[in-house]
This record gives sequence, structure tokens and C-alpha cells, in this order.
Amino acid sequence: MTAADASLNRYHALFEAVRARKRSVQTLKGADQLVAWGALKLRQRRSRLAVLMQWAEAVDLLAPEIRSLPETALDAQIDELRGAFVRGRASHGQVLRALAVVREVASRATGEEAYVVQLAGALALVHGRIAEMVTGEGKTLTGSLAAPLLAWRHRHVHVFTVNDYLAERDEQSRSRIYRRCGLTSGAITQDLSPQQRADIYSRSIVHGTPKQITADYLRDQISLGRIESAWSGWQKLGSSGPLVPGLQACLVDEADAVLIDEGVTPLIIARSRREDEMSHAYMKARDVSRELDPEKHYTVDAMRKRVKLTTAGRAVLASMAAEDDEQWATARRGEELVRQALVAQCCYIRGQQYEIVDGRVVIVDEYTGRFLPDRSWEHGLHQSVEAKEDLEVTADRETLARLSFQRFFRSYKFLCGMTGTAADSAGEMERVYGRPVTVIPTNKPVIREQESTRYFRGADAKWAAIVERIRSEHESGRPVLVGTRSVEASQLLSERLEVLGLKHSVLNAHHHEEEAELIAQAGHVGAITVATNMAGRGTDIKLTPESRRLGGLFVVLTEIHGARRVDRQFIGRAGRQGDPGGAQIFASLEDELVTKYAPNLGEIVASRANYDELTGSRISERVFKMAQSRSEARDRRGRTQVMRQDDWVDRYMPSV
Amino acid sequence: MAERSTFSPHWHRVAPTKPRLRPHVQITRQRYRGRRWHVVHDPASNKFYRLNAVSHELVGLLDGVRTVEQAWNIVLDRHGDMAPTQPEVIQLISNLYNANLLSIEATPETEQLLRRQRDRLAQKVKSQALGIMYFRIKLFNPDGIISAIEPTLRPIINRWGFLAWLVFVLFTLTRLGSHSEALASGFKDAIAPSNWGWLIVVYVVAKAFHEMGHGVICKRFGGQVPEFGALLLVLVPSPYVDASACWGFASRWHRIAVGAGGMIFELFLAAIMAHVWLATPEGSLVHQLAYNAMLTAGLSTVLFNANPLMRFDGYYILSDLLEIPNMMQQSFKQLQFYMQKYVYRLEDVSPPTTKPGEAGILTVYGISALAYRIFLFITITLYVMGKLFAIGLILALWTAAAWFIMPVGKLVKWLSSGPKLADQRPRAIGVTLGLIALGAALIGLIPMPDVRRGVGVVESLERTGVYIGETGFVLDAYARPGDFLEAGQVIAVLESPQLESQIEISRAMLAEYESIEREATARSPSAVPVARERVAAATSALNFMLERADRLVIRAPHAGRYVGNDPHDMIGQMASAGEALGEVVDTENVRVAASMTQTEAAWLFDEVEKPRVAIRPVSMPGVVVRGESIRAIDAGQVYLPHASLGFAGGGTIKTARDDQTGLRTETAQFIVYVEPGENEDWAGVPGERVHLRFRLSAKPLAVQWVDRLHKLIQGRVQL
Repeated sequence: MTAADASLNRYHALFEAVRARKRSVQTLKGADQLVAWGALKLRQRRSRLAVLMQWAEAVDLLAPEIRSLPETALDAQIDELRGAFVRGRASHGQVLRALAVVREVASRATGEEAYVVQLAGALALVHGRIAEMVTGEGKTLTGSLAAPLLAWRHRHVHVFTVNDYLAERDEQSRSRIYRRCGLTSGAITQDLSPQQRADIYSRSIVHGTPKQITADYLRDQISLGRIESAWSGWQKLGSSGPLVPGLQACLVDEADAVLIDEGVTPLIIARSRREDEMSHAYMKARDVSRELDPEKHYTVDAMRKRVKLTTAGRAVLASMAAEDDEQWATARRGEELVRQALVAQCCYIRGQQYEIVDGRVVIVDEYTGRFLPDRSWEHGLHQSVEAKEDLEVTADRETLARLSFQRFFRSYKFLCGMTGTAADSAGEMERVYGRPVTVIPTNKPVIREQESTRYFRGADAKWAAIVERIRSEHESGRPVLVGTRSVEASQLLSERLEVLGLKHSVLNAHHHEEEAELIAQAGHVGAITVATNMAGRGTDIKLTPESRRLGGLFVVLTEIHGARRVDRQFIGRAGRQGDPGGAQIFASLEDELVTKYAPNLGEIVASRANYDELTGSRISERVFKMAQSRSEARDRRGRTQVMRQDDWVDRYMPSV
Repeated sequence: MAERSTFSPHWHRVAPTKPRLRPHVQITRQRYRGRRWHVVHDPASNKFYRLNAVSHELVGLLDGVRTVEQAWNIVLDRHGDMAPTQPEVIQLISNLYNANLLSIEATPETEQLLRRQRDRLAQKVKSQALGIMYFRIKLFNPDGIISAIEPTLRPIINRWGFLAWLVFVLFTLTRLGSHSEALASGFKDAIAPSNWGWLIVVYVVAKAFHEMGHGVICKRFGGQVPEFGALLLVLVPSPYVDASACWGFASRWHRIAVGAGGMIFELFLAAIMAHVWLATPEGSLVHQLAYNAMLTAGLSTVLFNANPLMRFDGYYILSDLLEIPNMMQQSFKQLQFYMQKYVYRLEDVSPPTTKPGEAGILTVYGISALAYRIFLFITITLYVMGKLFAIGLILALWTAAAWFIMPVGKLVKWLSSGPKLADQRPRAIGVTLGLIALGAALIGLIPMPDVRRGVGVVESLERTGVYIGETGFVLDAYARPGDFLEAGQVIAVLESPQLESQIEISRAMLAEYESIEREATARSPSAVPVARERVAAATSALNFMLERADRLVIRAPHAGRYVGNDPHDMIGQMASAGEALGEVVDTENVRVAASMTQTEAAWLFDEVEKPRVAIRPVSMPGVVVRGESIRAIDAGQVYLPHASLGFAGGGTIKTARDDQTGLRTETAQFIVYVEPGENEDWAGVPGERVHLRFRLSAKPLAVQWVDRLHKLIQGRVQL
């Protein structure tokens, strides 16, 4: 590459970076929203499933011809098609042919021959849809068929996966396909230097996690500052260009988790404040909060993680503030600190929301049970928790820039994704991202048997039943996978299994590579694997012929999750690709879902119940359904609100 | 009170910026109810923003060198809890920034500026489209004209000028007071259709004068007047000027003066015109025009501009007098607060004001303004529908959409997804549904009194004409119209010298014949019969004369009320025999005749029970007479029972254009007779107009409304 080429590339990167920022996507309102929705629906009809399947069949018909091509002829075909894509003049026929060619490339490079449904999935991606493909239907392969086409057309494609390990693994296994298609690729992982990053970002296909790429993009935005055009940026930055050369196209794996669940999590670039005299204040707030009486001085709202001081509580505070007034500059601030200390005390529980690792508070993802070591809560909550645990109070951090994943993904010119379970959130995908969801059928029919859910009054009875069920399945030799909601629950279950002398392994979604191996063995005869919901995602549980004969993997879900999707995802680990399998959910009225989202109803039903087991009672089923839909509605509302705020900020606040 | 949190997640967006107010922006200090406010005014775009004292201090600290963070910390040190929180600062900065009052970097962000311009335009178009009842058309910039006029008027725009004006207006009023009858009679001429053209011309001129008043006074105190245009108020054009520059005035009396300026000028015009009217002869065009001007300028200011319930002059004056800026919006917020707090029982709501006095004012004002709005909407709609049915219907639907459907939509949205409701959502929805059900029950189920109105005229069942019995000169009169007379009571006395002399002659002749008879009896008995015959003839002639003389005294034929010409007016005039003087009407037996259109009468015919009716005489306010035995002639008539019911007689029923008597109607009428109740002590004067209130059987309001609307449409639209 000559110096001129490098400059040109850098200028282009700058141009695209500025463009990405200006692509401020506003949520439409009122009539505009209606019109946009109508237009979207119309456009969707042109690439609905029936049409996609037809096209996929057409691609399949091209296979014999392409299979017979010698290597050089194949390369010639690739070059020709690539040219058409790069010029943006690829006709529909060329798209189909290109897909057939890439399929052939993949099969020659890795030996994997894509099924027709996978072709349909890839076509859905190329048409900017979210493809719902049942777990184990070869999403990785589908993605690697679509990515080259997107890279040809959009110059750069970002392929998102849930963790660094998967990003690296996928990139390595796919790079041969990409290279054959005349494309370069790389994976962005945590431990890369800025130079390495810049190099990888300049490649056509970049695998990575949302966190990594968003953070790099955000850093770019900070360094770009308030420039309006690429030219002014060029003058300002000189030789150092942006890392991420714009947001052109992206392909999101696990789209529901990334785009919906995580969508509103803001990515924050912060630095520690230099002046830090607050630690004392947090300690004091903690001391004060311990003296307050939950009966008299405050009320706790567990559902929203909020604490409200009563008038009496305020009075106590006022008298305390009067005694010594060093840090409590303002009464309001003092009250806020105390409230926060109370929240830390009442709503944040070690093992559920956080863990202590090496004397540091580490946030635990409530959805997945994963550790999030480099995240911290905002506005002193983190410090309050540290104070509560008598740890050293870290310095409060000052936000430099902030971007929600939702906003980030909406800044892409082209967005598509794959997921196991998108249909539940199809409405939101359409509304927020303007992306329709297509449910791609499975290659082989699913023969998993899902037994009806068992409901219990108390948690004890539930756990007893779970352990009993695990034992009986284990005795038959069938592999069992048990899903828990939190790290704490998985440890609890592990203890119970220990007592019975059942050998098992516990996964906490913390060590990705080890877990991938463990979970790959979860399909062996007699294996018992206890895992949090998210553990080992992206890795297939392969059955041995023996375990397949015994009825395949049996999945036990120990709690109903706040989102139906998560339940479906976990259950989907059994019965892949036409394998046999079974699943059952166990739930009790003492589960967090009920105590948080339908506490009154739960209590009433519990007090009326005559037996410990409530299975078959319509009313208790209703309670869980209601709690689940309330939880989903709450999350949805929260996300809408964040979206609105994002819009507002973008529109009415000076850009920094 | 809602908890204010100190921090905002978006703080970093403003914290490091170094904004400053744009250099041309002006700030004035104002006081409202003892609190200090600062009005930031951009004369170029005529935008205003009101800051409280602490916010002002914060904005003042932003000098383009300090960052927002630094300024905020300074304010925090000084004011503690009173300092704005981060979200509040963000709101403040972004508001100022988006109003183009604040610049953040030396170079403007062109794209954002352009986008804001587009947003504003879209907002303007939207608000215009929604408020078609008040459509603004911008015409030109009147600043030059007003600047030219203002210096000449400057010497008198002060308190002395105002006092002089006050004296002049009061003087004019007292002078007009003695001409009240002429004033009243002039009104009929003024509203006659032939005068409408002039009325509109005069109206526009008067209003232009009015607007000039605002403009000149605004200019006098240093404001710009950048816009003159026409405001289509319910499709009727009316000029307006943009005197909003006065919001930046420091003195509230100056602001009030600008608000009142229009009315001051217009009433001044009305007063001058009153004097012109008094000085010119009746019937001349100048006289008529002066009356028109007096009417439009005087009435419209009092009824319209001074009304504080709509956003006209009166509102701004009142809001400044009470020292509550933005009163309309604040008072609606106050009502909203009560709803949320006491009906929906939300906890995190805060009222727009915490001062009890102000809250009281806001509440009272909010309720009255709301009620007035609804009242106005219904009246205007019905009025326009009455005149131009289709346009009225469109207008009504449109306004209903703006005033009704949109708020309802917002309520639904708030109920379904408002973040404040998170916990109480089921309860809130329940309460709302409950209220709706209650309202629906009130309207749809519970019978309410159904009252319809009509106008009637008192008629007498027995009436006897009073005529002049004998030609003569009216000597004296003893009764006036409306007097109650006993049978035989004298109404008037005439004298007839001719008759008197004839009587004299007859008497003389009789005396002569009697003496002849006496002589004949004594001297020649044969002549006696002839003489007696003569005497008899003379006697009868005299008697005839005397009888005629008797008829010179005009008496009431029976007891009753005298109506007709006033004989006092005839004193000294000659009246010839057989001429009608008036009538004596038996007031014990009167009835009311009312004329109704087919649709109106249908209400009465539809009733199963006879409706109760109350009679309210126009002449005796407060008197209510129970009516009985309603009888309707259920066949169309084209003649009114009395001219006073028709258009020509000042009534409400259209009479045929070519009709001179004022009795023949355009459409068929149904005559309804109502008799006063047995024990009612009311002596209706025949010919007197009365209001009738028919109280139909009670039915739910929904039924009543549908019925009325149905009948309204029935009359207008050929289906």
C-alpha cells in the first residue's frame, strides 16, 4: 500500500466516521410512524419467508453447476460477482449466484454444505432481516455465507458475537472462506493494542463483541470532537485517523440479546476524578442508613430498586445533618446518599447483583449470571455498595462519553441479525430498528418433548422435586442440563446434588473457553451440568450415540425467567437438529419473578393452596403468566424510555 | 413533592461545554409576587425565556470561558439546595440553546441551526392547522409606520394622558346616558342586514385603530413591533400586531399599558364617535356610521378584548395584575396536578406553584377558563352551524379533534405507557374507566329535566274596541294605555261647540213649542194636538242631541285594561265619530300565543304527558307564571299571531320579505296557546312579549342531545 493509498483510506475512514455520527436516527412519531410502518410492511412482503425459500431453492439448483467448476473458474466467478457487488450493481440473479458460489467456497474450505434453510437464512440477512433460526441450526455457517456478500457490497462488515472467545473462534474458522472471497478478516478482542486494532478495523470483515467495537467507536467520537465534516477532521486530527472506519454494515449474532436485552445498556467511557473526597461521605451514609428503621423511616420498592424515605426518616436525617456538616454540603445531596446506601443495603444482594472478587465489587448480569468485571454502577451506587461491603471505596468516575448499544446499532447503514428467539420481540425489532423478523424453519423437525411445567408453593418443595427429577434421569443415564437464574442458585443446587452424591459440573458463564469444552461434554451419558442461563452460549451440546439412544439431553429449568425468550433459548439446547430431547420447567411462588412482579397475587394463591405442588391449577399458571408479561412490559417500557431519552439528547443537546 | 435527583446520566454532554448568551440578547429583571425573574429576550427572533434568580446567576456565570460544570459548582456552593440539579441545568441549557439564545462554540453548527429552523416551521404549521378557529395570516412589518406615529403621541402617553382619557370616556358615558332611548332604537337599525356592509368596514377600521394602540404604546416603552397581520377568528378577519416585545419590559405597569393600549385607543374612538353621533341629524350617513363605530368599538372591547378567559388583551392584563406569568398554562397544570394527585393518587407529582394564594387563583382561573372554552366551542359551533351548516360541521369536528380527541389520545397514551403511572397503572385505568362510566351514566341513563324555550305574545280572550262616539275636539283625557278601568269609567271627554249650539237651538225650540202649547191650551184647544206633536218632536230632537252629547264622554264598556292610543296625545285635536281609539281588554282572561317551527312544535306533540310550561313576562324580570292547558294548532299557518314575534317586529321568526304587515312568515308556523294557571295572580298585558319555558318529561341528556341534533339537521339537510 502506498502512502497515498493510506491517506486516502484514512480520509475515507474519517468521512465515514463523521457520516455515522450524523446518521442520527430519530424515532418517528404519530403519522410518520404509521407511514413508515406501512412502508416497512410492504417492503417485507417482497422478501417474506415463502419468497426466501423459493430463492433458496433456486440457489440450490445452481449447486451442481458450480460444484463442477474447477478452482480457477470458481475464482473467476468470484471476481466477477464481487465486481458487480462493489459497484453496487448486483442484480437479483447475481445475488443468488453469489450465494451459491460462497456456499461452494464454504463447503470446499470447511467441508460444511449449507442446507436450503440456511441459504434462506443467509438471504434473509442479505435483505436486512433478523433471521430467527433455532439454536443448533448452524447460525455460524449461515452468517459466514452472508458476510462476504455484505462485505463486497458495503466494504466493511462488523460481525457481532456475545463474547471474545466466540469472536475469535468464529473468525478463525471462517477466515478461509473470507480469504477465498477476496476479503480480509480479523477479530477484535480485549487485549489488542491500538495499532493492532487499527489494522484489524481496516479489514473487510471484523468479528467482535458489541462492547469492544462500541467502545472503540465512542473513543473515536471523543477524539473527533465537534467537527462537522471529514475535511475539518482531517485538519484537526492530522495523521491519526479514527479507529473504526464508519459504521457500514453489521451482522449481529444473538440479535435479541444484543439488540433488545442489552440494547439500553449504555457504554460509558469514564475517567476517575482527580479530586476525590467522597469516600468518607459514602461511609457516613452507610452508617446513617444502618441506623434507620425499615418499619418507620423508609419503604423499599424491590421491583424498581428504589427506596423512599418517610417523613420520620427525613426528620432523623435532618437532625443528623445538623450535628456535623462537613461533607453534607446540601441536605438534598445527603438524603440522596443515604437513599442510595439504603438501596445498596436492601435491593443489592451479594451473589445476585454482584460478587466480590479480589476485594472488588464485580457486577453480575442478572439476566445471564455472567460477571461484568469492567462495569460499574453509576452515580455513586457502586461506591455505596463498596461501602456496604466495607471495601475500599473507589473514586467516583466522570463520564466522558456515553452511548447506548441501541443508538450505536441504529447508526449502522445496514443492519441484519440472527437469533434463536426473535419472534417474541419482533414488534420491538420492527419499531426500534426497522428490521423485520423472519422465522426460518428447521432443517429437520424438532422432536424434543417438553413436559408440562410443574408449579410449587415454596422453593424447598421445588428444589426437592428438581433434585429428584435430576436423580431419576441420571439413573437412566440420560445427560441432564440444569439452568439456574443466578450464580447463587447454581451453587445452592450444587450443594443439594453434592449431598446426594451426584457428580456434576457447574458453569457460571465466566470462563468462556473452559465452559465451551465442558458444555460440549454435557451431552455425554450420565453428565449432569448445572449452568446459568447464558453459560456456554454459542457452543453446541453434541450427543453421543449412546446418549441419543437414551433419549437425548434433558433440560431442567429451575425458574421461570422474566422474559419468555430466555426460557425458550435454554430449552432449545435440547433436541437440536432433529435430535431427541426433553425439557421441563420448575417454578415456585417464592421465585423472584412472582415476588417481584405479582407479589400480592402470589401471596393470595399461596395462602389458598392446600398442597405444596400446584401443578394443574389454572390460577397459579395465570400468576406466572401475568408476572412474566409484567416483567416483559416493564423492560420494554424501560427500553422505550431510554430510546426517547436518546432521541431527545441527540436532538436538543449540543453535541460534544 | 417529587424527589429531585442531583445527577443526570447526560451531564457529560453539557458539563465541559463553554456556552455564553449570544451578544445581542437582552435581559430584563421583572418581579412577580415578590420573586425575582429575568427575562431573556432575543429581539432578532422575538423569543423569550424566563429565568428564576438562581438560574439567572448560573447563566450569568457562563461567559464562554467557564465550563458549565464550573459554573454549576459555583452556584452549588452559593445556594446549596436551591441550586438547580443536573437535569434542570441540562433542561435550561438545551432550552436556551434551542431557542438560539445561547451559543456554545464560536462557529455556529449550521446543520443544527437549519434543523431547528425546520422544527420551528413544522411546529408552527401544526399549531395553525389545529387552531383553525384562530388562523393567523402575517401581512407586513408595521414598525416603520408605528415609529412614525409614536413621537407625535408620546407627550400624552403617560398617566396624565390616561387620566384625561378616563375623564373623557366617563363624560361621554354620562352624556350618552340621557339618550338611552335613541341609543336603543338605533341598535335595531344597526343590526339590520342593510347595514352589515358598513358594520364590517367600521369594524375593521376600529380594530386597526385598536392594534395601533398596542403598537404605539409598545413602541413608547421601547419595544419592537415586528408583525402586523390578520387573525381569522372563526373565519372573521381581525387585524393583529405582535407586541410581544412588551414581555421583556421591566415595569409591569408598562406591560399592562401595552395590553390595555388597544382598548384605550378603541374606546377613545368610540367616545369621539358618540359625540359625532349626538351632533349629527338622524338619518344621515355620518350619524349611522358614527353609531356603528360606537357600537363595534365599544361593545367588542368590553365583550371580547377585556375577557380574560381567552388569550386576548384582558388575559395579559389580568396575568400582569395578578403577577402570574403564563397563567393559562400554569392553571391548566394546576388542575392537572389536582387530578394526578387526588384522583390518580400519584406520589411523584409537583404542583406548578407552592404558594397557596397563587394556587387558589390558578385553580379558579383554570376552571373558569376551561368552562368558558367548552361554552365557547358549543356556542360558536352551533352558531356557525346555524348559518353555514357544512362549514360549521367541519369547524366543529376539527376543533373537537384539537380540543378533545387530542387530549383524550394523550390521556390514553399516558394511561397506557406514562412512566409516572408505573405502579398505579391498573388503579389509574380503573379510576378513568370509572369516571367515564359515571359520566356516561349521567349522560345516558339518568333522566334530566328537558327544557325547551319559546317566545310568545299575550292575547286577550275578551276585548272591546273603544271608538269616538261623536265628532268633536278632545277636551280632556283620563286614561292612558295600560290603565285598568272599571266599567263606565271615563277615558276621554270631547267637546263639540256645534253640538252644543244645536242643543241650545233645540232647547230654545222646545221652549218655544211648549209656550205655544200652553197658549193653545188656554186659547184655542183645537191647536193643541199640533202643538203637542211639535213639542214631542222637539223633545225627541233634543234628546237625540243630548244622547250625542253623552257620547262625547268616552267610557270603558266593561272592566279591563285600556290598550291603544293614548287620548292624552289627542287633547285639542278633532276626532271624528267612529274613529277607533283603542281597546278595553279583559285582563282576567288572557292567554299566550306562541309561534313555533315544525321542529320546535314537534317536541310538544311528541310528548305523552302535557309538558309543564312557565311564562316569564319580558317586562317583569323575575316573575314566573305557571302555564296550563297547552293547546297547539297542529296545522301549518303562515300568519303570526302578533307582529312582535316576527323579524320585522323585533322577534326571532323570519317573515316574508315582500310582506308589509310583518305577519306573514317564510315557513309554516305552528301556533301554540298557553293559558296562565288558575291561581296565578298575573295580569298579562295583551301584546306583551313573554318567554316560555316548556318543561318536557325528564329524559337522559344523551337522548335530549340526539333529539336536538336530529331536529337541527332535519331542518337543514335534505336527506
